[in-house]
Amino acid sequence: MILAIEDLTVSHGEKKIVDKVSLTIDKGEWFALVGQSGSGKTMLSQAIGQLLGTNLRASGRIMYQGDNVLEYPKEKMNQLRGKAISYIFQDYHGSFTPFLTIQQHMEEYLQTHGVHQKTQRKEMMKEAMESVGLEASFAKRYSFQLSGGQLQRASIALALLLEPDILIADEATTALDSVSAHRILSLLQDLQQKKGCAILFITHDWRHVVRYSDKIAVMKDGKIIETGTKQKLVHQPEHAYTKQLIQAAPTLPMRIREVSKS
Amino acid sequence: MSVLAHSQKRIKKAKVWLISIILLIVLAAIAYTFLYLKHDATMTDVGNRLASPTWGHPLGTDHLGRDVLTRLLLGFRLTVGYSLIALAAAVIIGVPFGLMAGLRGGWVDRLFMRIADGFLAFPDTVIAIVLSGLLGPGIGNLLFAIVLVKWVNYARMVRSTVLTEVQKDYVTIARINGLSTFTIMRKHLLPHIIGNVLVLASLDFGKIILLISSLSYIGLGAQPPTPEWGAMLNESRPYFQANPEMMVYPGLAIVAVVLAANVLGDYLRDKFDVKKEVQP
Repeated sequence: MILAIEDLTVSHGEKKIVDKVSLTIDKGEWFALVGQSGSGKTMLSQAIGQLLGTNLRASGRIMYQGDNVLEYPKEKMNQLRGKAISYIFQDYHGSFTPFLTIQQHMEEYLQTHGVHQKTQRKEMMKEAMESVGLEASFAKRYSFQLSGGQLQRASIALALLLEPDILIADEATTALDSVSAHRILSLLQDLQQKKGCAILFITHDWRHVVRYSDKIAVMKDGKIIETGTKQKLVHQPEHAYTKQLIQAAPTLPMRIREVSKS
Repeated sequence: MSVLAHSQKRIKKAKVWLISIILLIVLAAIAYTFLYLKHDATMTDVGNRLASPTWGHPLGTDHLGRDVLTRLLLGFRLTVGYSLIALAAAVIIGVPFGLMAGLRGGWVDRLFMRIADGFLAFPDTVIAIVLSGLLGPGIGNLLFAIVLVKWVNYARMVRSTVLTEVQKDYVTIARINGLSTFTIMRKHLLPHIIGNVLVLASLDFGKIILLISSLSYIGLGAQPPTPEWGAMLNESRPYFQANPEMMVYPGLAIVAVVLAANVLGDYLRDKFDVKKEVQP
């Protein structure tokens, strides 16, 4: 077990956006969090990194290495961010500061986390770019000079730069076309197997869930209504809403799978 | 194509901004080098008052026999120098306040916004007149009043830029990767802000020159015998009918500099247009 969320509640005034959610993520597993828009998935993921706005309040416990992350002071949280927990977002264009190159972003993060040797930084950056299938020369470009798929790869490279224990992918492929999305996801799967990080995969696309995840939690109106292994949820769903989700998903034709492998 | 659009296109082609940059540079160069010590701007020569242009006095002399050209050029140094000082002070005070209000939020932001609303409820000129009237006439008090009026604009603009930028994912990602608030401010937000501040400052430059000159004209700013352009206009008022050129020279100088500053500001605003900036 690498991260355990216990009775997490995120509230905005009186309104509860996330209501007493508990879930555990094991080391190196692909944990999918499924639910429709507005079900509180993103709020849950942001509470983990203490990224909630000042008008939102989180209570409960988020246990990481025996400590409650929610109670961490700002400085300790900053050390954890990037190194232990990392994120990828849906909006890949907005993920990079427009006037900095990919390399400048990476340099900055490595320096913040104590990699002071220039040669070591260079080596790590080259490795990170190659691991996501981008040429090392792409690092010298600005974000607007890359295509959507390339940018999402670059943001994965950035997120995995410091080899975090948990990667939170919040709708990471929603803005990509389905071929690119599958390429990105199989890349993530490869990287996960190589580096052994856990992935909290937030999506509303049931097809991705069925294909890649190990464990699934279904979320509705701020509550987790069903959780379990993929086999159990896909073949023997208990809750009516889960059944509805499965029925609503279009089936995936075989040939797209083949394309994504190539 | 309408006549207006056609003439606008021709004006754009003519690169008015380039002309105004050159004009400002030439004026500055003349003001700071030419005739450096030929005449004393405050030395009176009553026997030679209101003289016509001669080789010794290319623009003639004023009502106390002082050389008009020397005073005009010294006036450039003073007027432009004062407005640059006021501008710099407004930026230095306004930008950190805006950054703080935008990033901190909460009561800091609310308090600041109410103060800003208070200042914005009155026209700049009125506040400046009241303040310099209360503190007593003098260029120092006038500058203080102008800074107090102007910093609010910068703080508000920086705040609104920060508020829109902070929403974007790259700021979140920078936070996720463990950067401190100060680093994010300096490396990821400040470059966005600098462009906007530059545009606003160059548009304000002309306005501040006008404000200083007009308040000096009504006697609240620079006092005689300081050769400030507004004060010069004020001094030559009684001689308007017999020697109108005494008012024309400082008036023209103000028009030229303010016009150049405004054209430059417009050009910079078009150039730094955020919408055009991030296109592939």
